[in-house]
Amino acid sequence: MEAVVVDAGTKLLKAGFAVPDQPPSMVIPTQMKRVPEDESLTDASLLENVTVDPVVRGFIRDWDAMEDLLRHVLYTGLGWEIGNEGQILFADPLATPKAVREQLVQLMFEKFNISGFYASEQAVLSLYAVGRISGCTVDIGHGKLDIASVIEGAVQHISSRRFEVGGLDLTNLFAKELQKSNPLVNLSISDVEKLKERYACSAEDDLSYEKMQKACPEELHTLPDGQVIKIGRERYTVGEALFQPSILGLEAHGIVEQLVRCISTVSTENHRQLLENTVLCGGTASMTGFEDRFQKEALVSSSAIRPSLVKPPEYMPDNLANYSAWVGGAILAKVVFPQNQHVTKADYDETGPSIVHRKCF
Amino acid sequence: MYGGDEVSAIVVDLGSHTCKAGYAGEDAPKAVFPSVLGSIDEMEVDDADNSDKNSGTASDSKSKSKRKLYVGTQDLGFRRDHMEVLSPVKDGIVADWDMVENIWDHALRKCLLIDPKEHPMLLAEPCSNTQQQREKTAEIMFEKYQVPALFLAKNAVLTSFASGRATSLVVDCGGGSTTVAPVHDGYVLQKAVATSPIGGDFLTDCLLKSLEDKGISIKPRYAFKRKEIRAGEFQIVDLDFPNTTESYKLYSQRVIVGDIKECVCRAPDTPYDDTSYSNIPMTPYELPDGQTIEIGADRFKIPDVLFNPSLVQTIPGMESSVETASSARGLPQMVIESINKCDVDIRRELFSGILLSGGTASMQQLKERLEKDLLEETPQAARVKVLSSGNATERRFSVWIGGSILASLGSFQQMWFSKSEFEEHGASYIQRKCP
Repeated sequence: MEAVVVDAGTKLLKAGFAVPDQPPSMVIPTQMKRVPEDESLTDASLLENVTVDPVVRGFIRDWDAMEDLLRHVLYTGLGWEIGNEGQILFADPLATPKAVREQLVQLMFEKFNISGFYASEQAVLSLYAVGRISGCTVDIGHGKLDIASVIEGAVQHISSRRFEVGGLDLTNLFAKELQKSNPLVNLSISDVEKLKERYACSAEDDLSYEKMQKACPEELHTLPDGQVIKIGRERYTVGEALFQPSILGLEAHGIVEQLVRCISTVSTENHRQLLENTVLCGGTASMTGFEDRFQKEALVSSSAIRPSLVKPPEYMPDNLANYSAWVGGAILAKVVFPQNQHVTKADYDETGPSIVHRKCF
Repeated sequence: MYGGDEVSAIVVDLGSHTCKAGYAGEDAPKAVFPSVLGSIDEMEVDDADNSDKNSGTASDSKSKSKRKLYVGTQDLGFRRDHMEVLSPVKDGIVADWDMVENIWDHALRKCLLIDPKEHPMLLAEPCSNTQQQREKTAEIMFEKYQVPALFLAKNAVLTSFASGRATSLVVDCGGGSTTVAPVHDGYVLQKAVATSPIGGDFLTDCLLKSLEDKGISIKPRYAFKRKEIRAGEFQIVDLDFPNTTESYKLYSQRVIVGDIKECVCRAPDTPYDDTSYSNIPMTPYELPDGQTIEIGADRFKIPDVLFNPSLVQTIPGMESSVETASSARGLPQMVIESINKCDVDIRRELFSGILLSGGTASMQQLKERLEKDLLEETPQAARVKVLSSGNATERRFSVWIGGSILASLGSFQQMWFSKSEFEEHGASYIQRKCP
């Protein structure tokens, strides 16, 4: 049986058997709803929608909810049988604390009784998906933004950075802006999320952004509940926010400048190798016009060597950016598990959760 | 006493230039950032408002100035109005504990994402740390961060462990100063420790002044912007930010010049003099704003300041530092002086085990030059061997790596200074537990 690769993001959980040139078979939202077990509760509490987010800003926070989610994914979704569990590979975000990793290993071996485990960092996996072992990844997820530099398969923590900005903040910004221009319309966050995915785009450069702010064609959109809203220049505001974080109220440089500064802390001989192999991944990176704008900003960045984006190979599925970490995991799974470099049940029983730090890096 | 594989210790090395922090047992620190802080005094803004409003009573009652501190490469990299760059340590003594706490907070909570309550802490301290500072450190660690256990180890001892030796002479060329300390069986011989104020930062300043004198202006990264005027053609536009402080400008320039120094400078094989080095080929270096500069004799002159501090007099613009430099001794002299202060019996062992550590020690050819100079000045019988690990990362972080090794040893686990001992005996007990 093939190994299972799981990439638990803040918004979407990608899971599937390790078949590298296909997209993951299960892409489901990570957000869960708590259903009260006791039927005798009053009507008022049944109307409450208690949503639970097991993954917050990239890290697993609610372990019970995560266990339920994984149970659904592995047994119901992928068809594992109790008593015949296979091997699993997890993708961790940058700077995962050691304790979180150990807890994950413990959960997998003790509650799920798997036979083999491996964990790798998302940055390294995204590079494997485009066929490289060294380079930079700019991973713009729902809950966080990671800029990581990888040399020969090892993440250089010294020059990697994590920002607590992501698609979630862009959605909130969009909701705020739409509320300002459509004060009578009632918007829910999930509606705004869908609108963002459909309408948000990046302007070509900061001059055309300014032009858009002054005059922009407006579109009318009908929401599922019948209300009609006007979307105009807000689409470009959202697309601009990552290049000018002052829009989000943050005191920081734009994303390309951050990338260049992170890389400048690495010794010069590696700069070329890193900057010329930059990979954009994550859901937010598939925004219309984002990649082109990134390339443009890269040309005017304050660095001798300009960052240039890598083109994914042709045999990879389209939209690789949305799940490049998963695809990289599938590639890695095919190497690690047959060669027995993973953590087996016997290893875990002998040493305990800390074995993960020694075997998986 | 305290042990086990399950919870790993955290090793923090707060140096004069960078702070290194990470988990014990790993081979490199996870968090490396400058150990200076940006600070904006909120008082300044308030004063301006108060003078407009003309209310005397409100402004007088505010006696304590509030300030906002920014730590870490990302926050320091963003230019803010009125932000001053300050260092918490002056001449090796901690001047402002609040700033040190901020640095530790940033390292532990923001970079490593851990809760200090759950991890024992190993801190590296300079060889000449005073009893008062150690007690204050212990107090802050136990009372504010509530660490379960603490240990303070001297930098030189950790470097020694990193190379697997119990007895050696450690030459630590760091950012703020250079220290030569002999270590014997894991203990530093305090009376033979020699320090000099010439460190990596001093060399960076020399290089900066030398370049300015040649007419090359180093533009900090925030002071320019690249604009595309036509397709494929770019132009540099200067940006002016009048409210930027001098200290911030200097800090940004030092970051760039520090990089030049690391790429281009090499220790010369023979003592520097103007005539023999006037004809060497120039090396090009591209600055962030696209300007390409050529560096010639400075490549060798600047590193030679370590060996011959009086060279500083020939660098224009460094007149203010001439006094500090003239009282300092060159590196080979410090080594000989330090060894001569030790017992005759161990001198031979020290000569054959001289370790180089620190960021400045990863300069090319430094090891060869030091060995050569020492061979000339030492008695014939002594065998001089200077060791440094081949990997540049290992040399730069050798103190941290030594701490990582020490904290993960099984036999070390009983030596921690635990919280219960602190509560029972008080902070002064640290002198007994951490020699």
